[in-house]
Amino acid sequence: MAGGLQGCKTFFINGGYGIKPMNDDVFTYLIGGKAGQGTKKAGIVAANFFSALKRNVFQMNDYPSLIRGGHNFSLVSTATRKIYSQYMKADLAVLLDQRSYTIHRDHLTENGVLVYDSTAVKQGQGIGLPIASLAKNYADPDLIVGVTGIAVLAAVVGADRAKLDTLIQKEYRRSAEDNLKFAHEIYDEAEKKITQRFELREGKETHPILAGAETIGLGASAAGLDLYFAYPMTPSTPILHFLAAQAKQLGVVTVQPENEIAVANMAIGAAFTGARSMVGTSGGGFCLMQEAFSLAGMVEALVVFFLGQRPGPSTGVPTYSEQGELLFSLYPGQGEFPRIVASPGSIEEAFYVAAELLDLAWRFQTPAILLSEKHLTESSMNVDLDIEKIRAAAPDMHTSGIYQRYRQTETGVSPLLFPPSDAMIKWNSYEHDEQGYTSEEADVIARMHVKRRTKQESLIRYLREKVQTVNEYGTGDPCVFTFGSTTMSVREAVLHAGLSCTVVQPIYLQPFPSWNLMKYVGRKAVVVEQNCTGQLEQLLREKTGITPISSIRQFNGRPFNPVDLAEQLRKVIG
Amino acid sequence: MADELTTPAENTWCPGCGNFGILNAFKKAIPKLEQHGIDRKHLVISAGIGCHGKIFDYVPLSGLYSLHGRSMATVQGIKLGNPDLKVLTFAGDGDAFGEGISHMIFAAKRNADITVIVHNNGTYALTTGQFSPTSGKGFKGPSLPSGNVEEPLNPLSLMLEAGASFVARGYAGRIDHLADLIVEAVLHEGFSYIDVLQPSVVFNNTYKEYNALVEIIEKPAGRLEDAVQLAKRFDRLPIGVLYKVSKPVYHKELYGKWNPAVNRLMHEERKRRIATYLSERLQK
Ligand SMILES: Cc1ncc(C[n+]2csc(CCOP(=O)(O)OP(=O)(O)O)c2C)c(N)n1
Ligand code: SF4
Repeated sequence: MAGGLQGCKTFFINGGYGIKPMNDDVFTYLIGGKAGQGTKKAGIVAANFFSALKRNVFQMNDYPSLIRGGHNFSLVSTATRKIYSQYMKADLAVLLDQRSYTIHRDHLTENGVLVYDSTAVKQGQGIGLPIASLAKNYADPDLIVGVTGIAVLAAVVGADRAKLDTLIQKEYRRSAEDNLKFAHEIYDEAEKKITQRFELREGKETHPILAGAETIGLGASAAGLDLYFAYPMTPSTPILHFLAAQAKQLGVVTVQPENEIAVANMAIGAAFTGARSMVGTSGGGFCLMQEAFSLAGMVEALVVFFLGQRPGPSTGVPTYSEQGELLFSLYPGQGEFPRIVASPGSIEEAFYVAAELLDLAWRFQTPAILLSEKHLTESSMNVDLDIEKIRAAAPDMHTSGIYQRYRQTETGVSPLLFPPSDAMIKWNSYEHDEQGYTSEEADVIARMHVKRRTKQESLIRYLREKVQTVNEYGTGDPCVFTFGSTTMSVREAVLHAGLSCTVVQPIYLQPFPSWNLMKYVGRKAVVVEQNCTGQLEQLLREKTGITPISSIRQFNGRPFNPVDLAEQLRKVIG
Repeated sequence: MADELTTPAENTWCPGCGNFGILNAFKKAIPKLEQHGIDRKHLVISAGIGCHGKIFDYVPLSGLYSLHGRSMATVQGIKLGNPDLKVLTFAGDGDAFGEGISHMIFAAKRNADITVIVHNNGTYALTTGQFSPTSGKGFKGPSLPSGNVEEPLNPLSLMLEAGASFVARGYAGRIDHLADLIVEAVLHEGFSYIDVLQPSVVFNNTYKEYNALVEIIEKPAGRLEDAVQLAKRFDRLPIGVLYKVSKPVYHKELYGKWNPAVNRLMHEERKRRIATYLSERLQK
């Protein structure tokens, strides 16, 4: 074994695929149970535990759209290197009910350990612990089982009881005493029965574990967000909840109006006062915002729209992930006006992209869309955020002379003024003259069209010169094109299997950064995306002529498993 | 009549339209509001889309000419952005009670500190006279030539029930009275609604009827039930403030004395706070 991994378990989930094991130390923890049994919390606690060992983590929560019952599970993969995805096969699986057991009993790595509740599961294979019957002696038996996950994990990785106690006191503050007592019972049982132990090597440095919803909220507030408007809709809701919880600390006000139409129109009204505003929604809500989106284009309002994708069409599958709204996001709203769309390729990048979009919306006075997916907003990983890179969203302000809201300028961007002001500031949804008065004059209509088109040209120039619009990782052929959260899956697959290829991720999708992509024309290309019809592929072909030799698509609501994805990529790479 | 409140925009309302009365009343209200300490630059307007909305171009005040049915949401956003501003919007009856009824009900429910003036002409005038939410049964328009088959909404009682803290009715034919109502509505802290009886000379010419039926009431009803009773009278049409009550206002309930546009945190302060947050999130 190379690289000083002695004493640490090295294992390879993909044994069956015949991929040569790499120098890697990924460990995956899975906890499954009914909604209400605290599996997500148990995942978070495990992630924190790994992070305290200075290891990196990636956590994904899988849950159906219901509040109690059903089947929830949380997957936490950890490594000493940076890790960009959960793995679907676990080294340790803790399964709290029959359904979880049935679903996940085979989702184990070669040496994986399975612990299940022997009260709930009859004749299980693995290590049965009488979890539910032990829990009966406690005030809230349903709730207390959540702590099982961490007690078993502690036993399996050889953490002593003192360490377990500290962890529980920190993480399970509510009825800590009961939790401690119950955890000890489980820990002792597990100690007795588990023979396989994993030793987790300590990593080098640690960074906070944040979900995409948090990095988006933080990025936007770093760039100057003042007001966030949203009507609850998964997967954008966690941003609302995060900002609402941190409202005081971040100086952001959150507002939940009566529907998405009110959301978007209120945000435009707030922008009129100079308050930096953002809205959050998912596909259905964004449909309701179309008219206001177009209004923002016409009045030249500066609002960022967060669009979180889940499987569609229509109500679709609320709590799962998909990238089916790429093409929808490119031209929302009626009429011709500049639109900006960007989609972050990692939880970390979401921080910078959210900030940058706020800046761009204000710089060019036009609506911008932050396009993402459930997989990004609700998964979490360690992030190293450099706050010094964030620029405050600062508009071009009017300084002297007679004020005209829609003054013609070289860039098409008219300087701003906010009320109260001695000058008259009219924003107008009808076509308007420079002053903001309604107009139906032929020359005014044409002039204003040209103004907006000029603004679009300035925006493109700015993106070309000043903004990183495409990411490239690795070298060699083929070029693997992807976008959004699928970028994380692709990067992890490449790392996992040690593949040689160039991952190309357009961050900006509108205006489409063809200027940065033309250089890939003629190279062997593969497109990986999470939708059924190949929307990125269509866009690439249309804008650059790049035609892939192969496309890899997954559209079952689940993010890619890096092991399967690596295998598919390997077939293409040959 | 040109005055300092006249704009270069050409007025395209039909001669004799009730909208002129509303415009003139508003122009009279502006200096009166200034006497009450509300200067022009703090007065921000919006409007819906319809004949009524053209008023936006006819007064030289700052504002945002909104969408059909959405100006109530627009002004709530403006108020939330900068609560130092006094915001009012002009809406049509189709605008406010057709397309935008949800915003009306919720603005009243949450007692948003905005003023909504509805030019109630009982028709969709700008789109050539179809029946509107407040058209009477039997009202004939191009989309139902044989007559409206629906009962009309009663905007006043609807707003009262929804929780409006200020509900008044004015008449475009009583300009001075309407001007005073507008002043009182803007001064009122909370959601204020004025339903203005507005004849459309082309599609619903109601001058004669209103002249005969309107009756000024001097004092608002003390109890909500009495105000609802007043709103439902049809033998006479009471004009004046029907109901007025003091209630907590939305933006103050939401964020107290904060002002998002004015108190906004400076860049360095934001960075410092985020750095603190991140260090708190670090696992030790
Ligand atoms: C979303 C949308 N639907 C329809 C229209 C067309 N439209 C313009 S004005 C109007 C109705 C106007 O009626 P009302 O609000 O009562 O105003 P009035 O013209 O009577 O003053 C309609 C339906 C529009 N502008 N936007
Ligand atoms: S159509 Fe009716 S409401 Fe419109 S301007 Fe003419 S009279 Fe007034």
